[in-house]
Amino acid sequence: MYPGWLWRGFALPGVVWLILLFIIPFYAVTAVAFGQVNPTLLTPEPVWNPLQWNVGWMSEALTRLRPGGDLWVVVVRTCEYVVVSVGMCIAIGYPVAYYIARHATRTKSLLLILLILPLWISYLMRMLAWVNLLAPDGYVNRFLIWSHVISTPYGWLDGRPITVIFALIYGYIPFFILPLYASLDRIDKSFLEAARDLGASPFRTFLHVTLPLSKTGILGGCVLVALPMFGDYYTPNIVSGAPTTSMVGNQIDLYFHYTSQPTIGAALTLILSFFLVVLMAYYMVTVARATKEQQA
Amino acid sequence: MTTTTPAPPRTAAPQGRPSAARRLRSWFANPWGRPRFLVLITWTYMVWAIVPVLIAVQYSFNGSRSRTIWAGFSTRWYISDPSSVINDPTLSSALQQSLKLAAADVIIATPIGVLLALGLARWRGRGSGSSNFIMLFPLVTPEIVMGVSLLLVFTNLFTFIHTGTFAQILGHVTFSISYVVVIVRGRLFSIGRQYEEAAADLGASPRVALVKVLLPLLTPAIVAGAAICFAISIDDFVISYWLSSGGNTTTVPMAIYAATRAAPLPSTNAIATILSLITLASVVLGYAGYRIFTRGERAAGQGMVGDMAAFDI
Amino acid sequence: MAGEVSLVDLVKRFGEIAAVDGINVDMPSGEFFSMLGPSGCGKTTTLRMIAGFEQPTEGRILLDGTDMAYTPPHKRNVNTVFQNYALFPHLNVHDNVAFGLRRQKVGKQELRQRVGEALELVQLNGFEKRKPGQMSGGQQQRVALARALVLKPAVLLLDEPLGALDAKLRKALQIELKALQQQVGITFVYVTHDQEEALTMSDRIAVMADGRVEQIGPPQEVYEAPETVFVADFLGVSNMMDAEAVGGANICRLMVGDFELDALKGKTDARGPSKVTIRPERVHLEDQDTNGPNRIPGMVERLVYLGNSVQVITRLAIGTTIQVLVQNAGGEIPWKQGTPVQAYLPPEALRVLTDTGAALPKLDEEAVEPV
Repeated sequence: MYPGWLWRGFALPGVVWLILLFIIPFYAVTAVAFGQVNPTLLTPEPVWNPLQWNVGWMSEALTRLRPGGDLWVVVVRTCEYVVVSVGMCIAIGYPVAYYIARHATRTKSLLLILLILPLWISYLMRMLAWVNLLAPDGYVNRFLIWSHVISTPYGWLDGRPITVIFALIYGYIPFFILPLYASLDRIDKSFLEAARDLGASPFRTFLHVTLPLSKTGILGGCVLVALPMFGDYYTPNIVSGAPTTSMVGNQIDLYFHYTSQPTIGAALTLILSFFLVVLMAYYMVTVARATKEQQA
Repeated sequence: MTTTTPAPPRTAAPQGRPSAARRLRSWFANPWGRPRFLVLITWTYMVWAIVPVLIAVQYSFNGSRSRTIWAGFSTRWYISDPSSVINDPTLSSALQQSLKLAAADVIIATPIGVLLALGLARWRGRGSGSSNFIMLFPLVTPEIVMGVSLLLVFTNLFTFIHTGTFAQILGHVTFSISYVVVIVRGRLFSIGRQYEEAAADLGASPRVALVKVLLPLLTPAIVAGAAICFAISIDDFVISYWLSSGGNTTTVPMAIYAATRAAPLPSTNAIATILSLITLASVVLGYAGYRIFTRGERAAGQGMVGDMAAFDI
Repeated sequence: MAGEVSLVDLVKRFGEIAAVDGINVDMPSGEFFSMLGPSGCGKTTTLRMIAGFEQPTEGRILLDGTDMAYTPPHKRNVNTVFQNYALFPHLNVHDNVAFGLRRQKVGKQELRQRVGEALELVQLNGFEKRKPGQMSGGQQQRVALARALVLKPAVLLLDEPLGALDAKLRKALQIELKALQQQVGITFVYVTHDQEEALTMSDRIAVMADGRVEQIGPPQEVYEAPETVFVADFLGVSNMMDAEAVGGANICRLMVGDFELDALKGKTDARGPSKVTIRPERVHLEDQDTNGPNRIPGMVERLVYLGNSVQVITRLAIGTTIQVLVQNAGGEIPWKQGTPVQAYLPPEALRVLTDTGAALPKLDEEAVEPV
């Protein structure tokens, strides 16, 4: 009906744009990471030809990241923060998503609006809100003193891992709950009715039907949240200023904005991306396998 | 389930509602009564998610310089105080910059995204799979990776583009395109080819079918896509940060970030409130626009989220 | 206008698979022509090729002698009524019907007049301002009809237009459509998988399977004189039995199990393994002591009451189960469940088939289809 070149032509501007400003920049990172540094100007000199790549900076970055290197601590810390935060996202987020998907009938629309709301309130505003609340004279300290849990204000914002983890959870959990809700909502009610019909109690229905069917949803939510979290640097910077809570993202930020070692920064970025690609691939393989199972 | 013993006769006086204590006890006696436990968690979560922000909004109207001690209602941080949003040059220029970037983003990304969505949905042939893949990547790439790569490409390859407003616009458009594509594609999927085929059947040339049938039917998605573009651009922090050249290329999120780390005033709360209101307004407008433009259609009960969810990325 | 369609050696392949595998069909002007078959048989693909939404891999599509296989759909004088109507949701009924006229740059006066006439034809005057979303399925379908007919096409294509409607409405619209076709006088090409629908409405039916035409003919011929096992089975209950053809020229002598039967219809000069079929309404059940040729003893397995008739499911001595249809004449059916009977299969009702045609879709052995 339509000429063959039409759709290709429509797609062209977008594809060209993405190649120029997404794919090529990514290659620029690679070229800088495997490049040289101008000895006098200390600016990076990217090497575009793979055959001439200089692995010096990359190997230095890798050495620092290995156990024993000075960045190993950061790597471990980042993983800890992400794992704990994502775990708490699941713990808090799953019941909420489950309730909205399965039980809320009259209040469903309201709850959905409330669920989506934080997504559109600027991330920084939500962090700012807690910076205000966790200040030495903020509501949190005042409440804790009033209820005699502590006697002097606690320095929540003085470089505490617990604050960073809390902020990460607070910041990312809406991005976890929404896709999980969508996945739970999509579970065919007739599966659950069939299980109940066959004599399973509500709890066992949940354990043996809902939970397995929502595995891909949980995994998807985790990936959707963990991926950006691994690269997060602004959250630690806002709620803690200290190097004791710095994550991998902070290191990259440091190398670019506070020292002039963009080559190491580029190398770190590459390593981070590679790690995330592996994570993404694992997710896609798992989903593909699960979908095949469900279709069988 | 049926028993042969007859039900006890209703001779006893009506009990009236069980006392509050008894109700409370039966409520707690079954904490695993799924709904109750879940209700508690859900509403606690909602309060936890939203109330802190409301408090921050409240303090943007604080009479004193404190962000933590309430001193009465005042609009000084918006208007009168020398450090208010209007008077502080950093803040007002940040607001302008954010709006400028968002407007440019919408104008550029929406058409490109709509065309890309159409192209990807209908293109059958070599390259369509990889193009689709390329389109999806920005959605899953962490922003820091995108920020670093754009910074490096503008400082080492496309050096005719320096960091600054133009670079920031290019960066914003790059991640916005994929969002527009996803939204428009969902709508395309729910429309299908049937209307264009009907149009052609009735004598419409491909151009007429596109313009008089497909485009009007796509309008809700285009409106929603544009609104989403605006909202994510205005909210963007990381890309703007990495591509800024200081000074008047600072955006509102960057200003909030800087102020929060240094010496936040209620004016920070104020500009954050303004930002959030603008974002919310554009999202609401986009959603309302979608609803209005699909008003005449058979109520399939889907709507925008349904259209998007129906199309599995 | 003429409106004669000819499909010549038409083939459509999607990759390796041939959805339409070489069909030759002539649809004379003014005929109500149906393409009938199970899903996947190629009928919809063929229709879409006539409309222009698919291009044939091989073959020609002639409209009044001109090959239009490579003409784009908007240039063909053919219009389609789609399965889910495809009424433009953003336009009201009037603008929907006027859409094609506007493409032809018809003047305002004439446009209004023709739209009015078309809506009158489908009994929907007064609905001009309504939007499709505000109308029932049956009403939408009529708007779709009006929208197509207003352009006075040479041929009207209908792609299972009644599929989405409930049974009663479907029956009523079948009658309406047939009357409409006779009134307007243009060629209708109708696609359906419902054999009852095809039998009721068509002047001729093409039974299709696996991309090929099994048989073409008027409804009576296709039903009473099926040429392949597939056609016999698709058009109703076939009571298909395995047999060995042992002799005869005009009369075929067959061995069905241990029983001898004479058949007068079908491939009477066949030899060797064959199939023999008889329609349920042609079988006569008699008392078990009745003697005579062409009879096989059996036992009534169960009865299915259909209101205007009764299906008597009878298990014959040869092992097969057949279905016998007895009209409800008001009296009691003498054969209760478990009664031994004699099944008389009149030779003029028995048909010999050697051509299996397409593979039959797998069905439950015991399932019996009501006619």
